[in-house]
Amino acid sequence: MEVVGGEVDYTFVIQKSLVLLICVGLAWKMIVYMCNLLKIEKEPIRVLVTGAAGNIGYAIAPMIARGIMLGPDQPMILHLLDIEPASKSLEAVKMELQDSAFPLLQGVITTTNVDESCKDVNIAIMIGGFARKEGMERRDVMSKNAVIFKAQALALERYASDDCKVLVVANPANTNALILKEFAPSIPEENITCLTRLDHNRAQARLAEKLSVPVSSVKNVIVWGNHSSTQYPDTSHAMVSTKTGDQPVKELLVADQKWLKNEFITEVQQRGAEILRARKQSSALSAASAACDHIHDWFLGTPKGNWVSMGVCSDGSYGIPPGLVYSFPVNCEKGSWKIVQGLSIDEFSREKMDDSARELAEEQDLAYSCLNL
Amino acid sequence: MAKEPVRVLVTGAAGQIGYALVPMIARGIMLGADQPVILHMLDIPPAAEALNGVKMELVDAAFPLLKGVVATTDAVEGCTGVNVAVMVGGFPRKEGMERKDVMSKNVSIYKSQAAALEKHAAPNCKVLVVANPANTNALILKEFAPSIPEKNITCLTRLDHNRALGQISERLSVPVSDVKNVIIWGNHSSTQYPDVNHAKVQTSSGEKPVRELVKNDEWLNGEFITTVQQRGAAIIKARKLSSALSAASSACDHIRDWVLGTPEGTFVSMGVYSDGSYDVPSGLIYSFPVTCRNGEWSIVQGLPIDEVSRKKMDLTAEELKEEKDLAYSCLS
Repeated sequence: MEVVGGEVDYTFVIQKSLVLLICVGLAWKMIVYMCNLLKIEKEPIRVLVTGAAGNIGYAIAPMIARGIMLGPDQPMILHLLDIEPASKSLEAVKMELQDSAFPLLQGVITTTNVDESCKDVNIAIMIGGFARKEGMERRDVMSKNAVIFKAQALALERYASDDCKVLVVANPANTNALILKEFAPSIPEENITCLTRLDHNRAQARLAEKLSVPVSSVKNVIVWGNHSSTQYPDTSHAMVSTKTGDQPVKELLVADQKWLKNEFITEVQQRGAEILRARKQSSALSAASAACDHIHDWFLGTPKGNWVSMGVCSDGSYGIPPGLVYSFPVNCEKGSWKIVQGLSIDEFSREKMDDSARELAEEQDLAYSCLNL
Repeated sequence: MAKEPVRVLVTGAAGQIGYALVPMIARGIMLGADQPVILHMLDIPPAAEALNGVKMELVDAAFPLLKGVVATTDAVEGCTGVNVAVMVGGFPRKEGMERKDVMSKNVSIYKSQAAALEKHAAPNCKVLVVANPANTNALILKEFAPSIPEKNITCLTRLDHNRALGQISERLSVPVSDVKNVIIWGNHSSTQYPDVNHAKVQTSSGEKPVRELVKNDEWLNGEFITTVQQRGAAIIKARKLSSALSAASSACDHIRDWVLGTPEGTFVSMGVYSDGSYDVPSGLIYSFPVTCRNGEWSIVQGLPIDEVSRKKMDLTAEELKEEKDLAYSCLS
């Protein structure tokens, strides 16, 4: 600071301050400009939907395109696969997607060629499968699906992106996922899952109805096991958020323990059949929505203190034989799921969990015998 | 603090469009990600079981924003307290039916729904008619619900608008979100006029007129127009069913922009009660370019109209006048 004759030269101070302010201003403008340059729009994610010309495909395509599955700022390219007889319907789905002018949807590929459909996909939702027809034996259904999922496994392994996350929806979901895992050994087994979120959502909703609370205040139900009639909807750790904090469902429903162990379980297990009776068609809307939830939470994480159910490769947790695709309670963070550990399992639950595991082991044997393994 | 839930009525809810539409509403696509909703689903008695199936699925989806579902075959219960009404239900044309017969059936449906809405809907209820003939059904609704402000009764031409955007974006290989300000004039029928004279594309060097970038007036005045006009039929041919997915999605866009506003510099197409703008006869429900703000639409004024456009706009107004006469004759 210049001092002239012992006094402070204010002109000098003002000049220097002005220069400083101008420099700071310019620097700020440069920083903002560089930040804007770096604000690149996200790269689109490639999402494969098999069986895309069917009812679940028709419901899920707009949900994905609107950002429900991956978030409102994540663009995507849809790969839609179906069999040759459905190719015209498939084209029509593509036309309707174009007609909807979805801002996030950056492309639609429709094909009946499995290899083409799998190219570079980051997410694969396997809805296509062989539906049981009247008079068909369980073995026949299993056999047809085993063949389909073996072929799709080979295509995914060869052509999908290394980080591809797979969700199997087509029934028998767990065992189809198992076949996929067996024939796509280079896909990390934690990336192969099956959908039990539909059952999880159904259980959550049923509890909310019983308790007359908003569905979003019920949390931590669990669906254990097979996406079949042996699934076990478990309320022992479920909670309800109330004004006075979280309360365990089994305390709030202490007078309904019998209901929780009986009717509640069968209602959730048989809900699919109930919908089929009422609509004369199976649940597409809720299955599609649950598939979006499954992928959304897997990708973007589960809320704190709130787990979800996913069919995943068992690592032996909770005494479930490793290698089966079994539904567990999981938390998700940074694109990975982790089985919630340390939950106490009572005798009632143990029996049901083991029943479902046994059914899955039988399905595995049946599937392998169909494939001569 | 969480917002109060908005009641949304969907008629014909057990059908195809309803099935596509209700999960979109329940996810917040229609009214925003923070707006809770209560769905009112109405259909005819033969569809009661299917309707209940849809209700069960909505419950099973555990939508956080969905605070309630009313599934009913009673129009009064359906309309009570609703803030938004999406009229998807109507009488579809069957093979061999005369135009007069279809019109006649729909006219009586919309007359009775008008009465129910007028009596039981919430004040300032916003109505969107989707069922065809959309414009004329909306007109009937307006005539028989005189206490519903005429500005609150609209019909869907956003599907055609979105289809036009899609066609331009395909032609130019640009993202569809970079294309804006196409206009659909007139009737949601084959006389609609998809007009690109004011449409723009966002490019790296700013906004450019669509005509300039496409460089093919023959296509823009010919095939482009017929493709958009006949897209519905093309979808039916390929799917064997009419477009539900895109109709539902466009209905959401129509309501969302109406309620939450259109972005700056962007206009959309809505079938609204004509006030005589652009020399379109007043007293018709006619699709115009509109902007939306504070829950109200206003027709974009002052757009120059060339001779070709004038002819097409008049043609579709003619058709609407004829439909109006036909509808009124069915009612006497």
